[in-house]
Amino acid sequence: MAEPTASPPAPSPSHWRTQLALATAWSTGVTFAGALALTALVLWLTGQPVFGTFALMLRTALGSKVGLADTLLQATPLILCGLACAVSFRAGVFNVGVEGALYLGAFAAAWTGFTFVGLGRLPLIAACLVAAAVVGALWLAVPAALKAYLDVDEVVSTLMLNYVALSVTSYLVNYPFRAPGLANSMSPAVAEQARLTRLLPPSQLNASLILALLLTLAVAWMFGRTRLGVSIRTLGNNPRFARVMGIPVPRLMVLTMLLSGAIGGLAGGSQVLGVNYRFIDGFSPGWGFDGITITLLARHNPWGILVTALVFGMLRNGGGMIQVFSKVPISIVDILQAAVILLVTAQVAVPSLRRATS
Amino acid sequence: MAYLVLQEISKRFGSVQALSRVTLEVERGAVHAIVGENGAGKSTLMKILYGLEQPDSGQILLDGRRLTIASPRDAMRHGIGMVHQKFQLIPSFTVVENIVLGDEPARAGWLDRKAARRQVAELLERYGLELDPDRPVRDLSVGERQRVEIAKLLYRQAEVLIFDEATAALTPEEAEGLFRILEQFVAGGKTILYITHKFSEVFRLARHVTVLRRGRVVSSMPVAEATPERLARDIVGAGGLPDLGGPAPSSAPGLGPSTSPDPGPVILDCQGLWVVRPDGVPALRGVDLAVRGGEIVGVAGVEGNGQAELAAAVVGLTPVQAGSIRLDGVPVDGASVKERRRRGIGWIPPDRYTLGSALASSLWDNLIAGEVDLPPFSAFGVLRMQAIRRHARQRMETFDVRAPGPEVPAGSLSGGNLQKVIVAREVRDGLRLLVASNPTSGLDIRATAFVREQLLHLRNRGVAVLLISTDLDEVLQLSDRVLVLHRGEVVAQFPRGAATRETVGRAMAGSHEPLAEVSSRG
Repeated sequence: MAEPTASPPAPSPSHWRTQLALATAWSTGVTFAGALALTALVLWLTGQPVFGTFALMLRTALGSKVGLADTLLQATPLILCGLACAVSFRAGVFNVGVEGALYLGAFAAAWTGFTFVGLGRLPLIAACLVAAAVVGALWLAVPAALKAYLDVDEVVSTLMLNYVALSVTSYLVNYPFRAPGLANSMSPAVAEQARLTRLLPPSQLNASLILALLLTLAVAWMFGRTRLGVSIRTLGNNPRFARVMGIPVPRLMVLTMLLSGAIGGLAGGSQVLGVNYRFIDGFSPGWGFDGITITLLARHNPWGILVTALVFGMLRNGGGMIQVFSKVPISIVDILQAAVILLVTAQVAVPSLRRATS
Repeated sequence: MAYLVLQEISKRFGSVQALSRVTLEVERGAVHAIVGENGAGKSTLMKILYGLEQPDSGQILLDGRRLTIASPRDAMRHGIGMVHQKFQLIPSFTVVENIVLGDEPARAGWLDRKAARRQVAELLERYGLELDPDRPVRDLSVGERQRVEIAKLLYRQAEVLIFDEATAALTPEEAEGLFRILEQFVAGGKTILYITHKFSEVFRLARHVTVLRRGRVVSSMPVAEATPERLARDIVGAGGLPDLGGPAPSSAPGLGPSTSPDPGPVILDCQGLWVVRPDGVPALRGVDLAVRGGEIVGVAGVEGNGQAELAAAVVGLTPVQAGSIRLDGVPVDGASVKERRRRGIGWIPPDRYTLGSALASSLWDNLIAGEVDLPPFSAFGVLRMQAIRRHARQRMETFDVRAPGPEVPAGSLSGGNLQKVIVAREVRDGLRLLVASNPTSGLDIRATAFVREQLLHLRNRGVAVLLISTDLDEVLQLSDRVLVLHRGEVVAQFPRGAATRETVGRAMAGSHEPLAEVSSRG
């Protein structure tokens, strides 16, 4: 319309995107800084050296080739779990059952790996990973259907199922599939040829990092460049609008939860094939839950998830070492993560509260 | 010195100067109207007065005293109250409970029900507010709920009352009732700030009118000196006077009294539609309705008489318990929303924010969300970004969407621009039927005129348009036939000439007069 005087100065589209990216990076940075400050306060109050502790963590996590490799090793399951959560969270489905899918997927991979020992290397690895993904997906199929068709709250159902998964796999490796001759509750080891290549020995870092990177790329592409991505975004941003647009909402909800379970299963499977070579009872330190924090912090952006998972991996790796070399227990990392969670929650909750009142 | 003075108020949000040195002088015991386009700063100014926003500079004087208003509670303490567009009432509480809530008369820490009942009854009596104090709010009509909101302010001894688009959801009769209440307030010395888009209300009620544009006061004058032309010019500025949607400016063929071309074949045919809400209450009771190509059929009615369910049933969001819906003679009852969209049904939903768009999504997402699996937007599940961007740009240009580009989030657009995005999406190739639910509610005159013009263009192109609107003037101005929906039934039908504010208004109120004006249907 010919009305140059009346139209507002229009910033270019790229300017917009830069601004958005900057805003996200800024708020993430502020969140981390706040969490660090809180942790420093705890260290200071308990009489521990603040900078010494942080410096030791940094040196351990990034100071050497092995340190760096271990950081990447710690980050791998976090990347996968972050992506797993992101796929359903982006669609507005608050599936917190990735931890359960991870356990079931890990067991499926282990079972495949110690059962089909006659298969060749690539077929066996592929079979293990497929088994992990399929079982992980099936695990979430029931809460997905309950959510999509009967409106059963997915947070409650998936959270509860995590404990079921933990117990079921625990039973499996304590009774039917317990490794003969071992005192601990674990399955037999997978066949030699099912084990993933170590990338930087002596670190346990292995080829599952590559799987995680490829999946990051795949999810980013799926979100940004596919039909499915548009539907997921639309559903996540406004479910009522999605219905008006004729998007098959229940089907899409089920699909995102299946995808989420599959990626969660892969996170568990890759841990079995790459690190432990067997299923160990209760092996996850809560990666499936860390994935929730990570995707919220990264606002479901796959590349953001990658970066955030690396930072978390750094903390895990560095935290393990301060326990050995100083009087500070690894719980300090939990404190740091808890602070991050609190601040993320505040970030997510406060603006929406403010919007609700104005 | 005026009773209430907002002096040199400025407010900036990020890079947008929402208000720059706005001064408003309000006399005591009068209605002061504030008009302007969406985004002109009316709401911001009122929010500052009501304590929801803090000004960057400037001051507020009441009766010569300078006020600091940090919160709505502060505002209330100074006797300033606001009747919001969206009511803030608790449906299960009675009128009395809603009115005293937050400020209850207490005896030894316990709610003194008797005193509350007595005080409220006195208050309603004194101000002539017709309300049953013991009825739960959920049983009240929109007009009655608004009276409860007003009573809440009076109970808190408000002297200055702010009304924001107060008649948007009212029937003409209810609106007239509100005007009488306001006149009585003014006679009793209360001061009223009245935000509106409707000129008729300015001339009916106000003593003084102030026009805001782009955060500045453009003009402020006694209503006695104002004319509709003058107000319209001040509101839109010198940049160009759009078609106002008023009585037939010569520049807009088809606006104003419509001379419909010959209507085509029946496109939408609904027979005996019954829709029962989840709570078991029937919302539509056997509605018969037909819309031909090249015809705008207007459905008038007070909000909540089945309009939402009618639209939802036609577009496929709500199951129909009985009856049939045909599009071009083919039943679509079992078809999903998506299938119906494919067959040529489009919908402008009544709420562009909750139903019509995803605010956090980009404009291109919003423009293709329903059609993403059709060529040229995707192939084998993969988006074809070039085609999408081209389409988005072209739609934005055709429909005059003012935005930096197709990548910006829909939530960054003004209400009028967002509505244009929705219209741009729904008006697509192969459209057979457009259902337009309150398509201009809350829009300024420029955007309103634009949307109405689009509906008329569609009609002239042979599309069937079902206009479901609670804005009676809109229905009368655009429709070739008018139906009135009351309690889920079509209680009256009027051909174009017979539909007037009086005849239609009476039917909307559910008067049981014989349907003298009924014309042959279809």
